[in-house]
Amino acid sequence: MRGFAQLDEVLRLALNAVALRQQVTAHNIANVNTPRFRRQAVRFEEQLQRARRRAAVSGATTHPRHLPVGTQSIVAPRVVRETSTVMRNDGNNVDIEREMAVLAAAETQYAALAQVVAARYRMLRSAISQGGR
Amino acid sequence: MLHTFAISASGMTAERLRMDTIANNLANANTTRAADGGPYRRQVPVFAARETRVPGRPGRFTGAGVRVVGIHHDSSPPRLVYDPHHPDADADGYVAMPNVDVVREMVDLITASRAYEANVTAFNTAKNMAMRALDIGRA
Repeated sequence: MRGFAQLDEVLRLALNAVALRQQVTAHNIANVNTPRFRRQAVRFEEQLQRARRRAAVSGATTHPRHLPVGTQSIVAPRVVRETSTVMRNDGNNVDIEREMAVLAAAETQYAALAQVVAARYRMLRSAISQGGR
Repeated sequence: MLHTFAISASGMTAERLRMDTIANNLANANTTRAADGGPYRRQVPVFAARETRVPGRPGRFTGAGVRVVGIHHDSSPPRLVYDPHHPDADADGYVAMPNVDVVREMVDLITASRAYEANVTAFNTAKNMAMRALDIGRA
């Protein structure tokens, strides 16, 4: 059951990160004609990878005064401003094609994650309902 | 999630205002008697990114869409057209016409229209994602 809860936590983090990515992209698109505006991006997958690598070696905490080793690294999406890709005279670096691609990817990813979460709840429910037989 | 709708809506409002301004510029492309006396002057909306008031820590998202700072007048000189019979012609027979370039306005119109559509797409994406989130509860 511990693994179950842990995976749920990762799924929750991922859903929120993808939703934030959609929001940041909407902000970029809203500012496509704003002079000197620099696009923002959400960094999340790299952090998850890093946390996963660190979690490969992890210490179990069997006592409340144990210090956590591995696993407990904080994974939170970071919003960064991109300043290096300006190619317009007004100093704005929003590339509408790129934003559309990010938007489409976020939508698909969110749908996939939501499906996994729903499937897990279905599994949980069937485990509960079949238990009495 | 609901915040996203407001962001996209601000983008749509701004682009709509730009379209209104362009329509006004085109309608007055030949107006020689504006409210302030001289020929009509081209109007330009000025946009700025809107941020939430809360000072965000680095890495936090504080964007809140776009806002229109104001509508400014294009300060370029009026177009002089030789038309001695025009009631507004000066002593040399030249009429000061608005500094509206119709071709430029058309280009801006297409840009505004496409940007509006992009905001609609972002809005629909947010809506689809919200519906997916609701589906989890129905599982």
